[in-house]
Amino acid sequence: MFRIEIDRELCSGFASCVQDAPEIFELDTSGTATLRVKETDDERAREAAANCPMNAIAIVELD
Amino acid sequence: MHTNPTFWILARASGLTAYVLLTLSVLWGIVVKSRPFGSRFRQAAVVDTHRTLAALGLGALVIHATSLALDKTVRMPVQALFIPGLSHYRPYSVAAGVLTAELMVIVYASFAMRKRMGFKNWRRLHWITYALFAGGTAHGLLSGSDSGRTWALAIYICAVAAVAAAATWRALEPITKGEANVPNRN
Repeated sequence: MFRIEIDRELCSGFASCVQDAPEIFELDTSGTATLRVKETDDERAREAAANCPMNAIAIVELD
Repeated sequence: MHTNPTFWILARASGLTAYVLLTLSVLWGIVVKSRPFGSRFRQAAVVDTHRTLAALGLGALVIHATSLALDKTVRMPVQALFIPGLSHYRPYSVAAGVLTAELMVIVYASFAMRKRMGFKNWRRLHWITYALFAGGTAHGLLSGSDSGRTWALAIYICAVAAVAAAATWRALEPITKGEANVPNRN
């Protein structure tokens, strides 16, 4: 299980996270990524973090 | 008395260098969105490379303009480097170059203002890049004194073919399930 954090200042609305994991990420009306779920064990969240063009997604491991 | 050719050579070399860097930056920009290499490259590194290539291209443009201002071969008035249409040397194609350079600065500077202008508008502004590439190609082909040489023509043909192929590939790329739900896609 891990927690997902989005740096909304860095996010530039490329939507690559929505492309990778639409069940976890979405864009708000301003075009900034937001979370549908804050904690998950879905590996696609890690993929989205690795693919984020702005490095705006962090994965925090939970014990 | 012979005119010192240093600035003229520098102007030609820096102009072509700027064009090659602009081409690479456009290609890398297409890679950011389309991901043709899958996860082989980190997307953040692709964005950094895209911006670095654009910045280097602008640097080459500054050298191009400065060396033209200092050169005594074509005697380009300084104001002609900023205002389209003032050049006596091939006025239309030089005007295309001036406009292209000014648009490059605007598109590059817009990155810092993307929040303020809104992502949707920022990405719309980025579509100008295709016109900018066309303008740069026209300027190089019609103004460049080396355009008739085989190696220079090869550079232009390869650049246009690469950008056309990448843009076509991106246009034909199917929209994935997640992206189809994005409210403000380009």
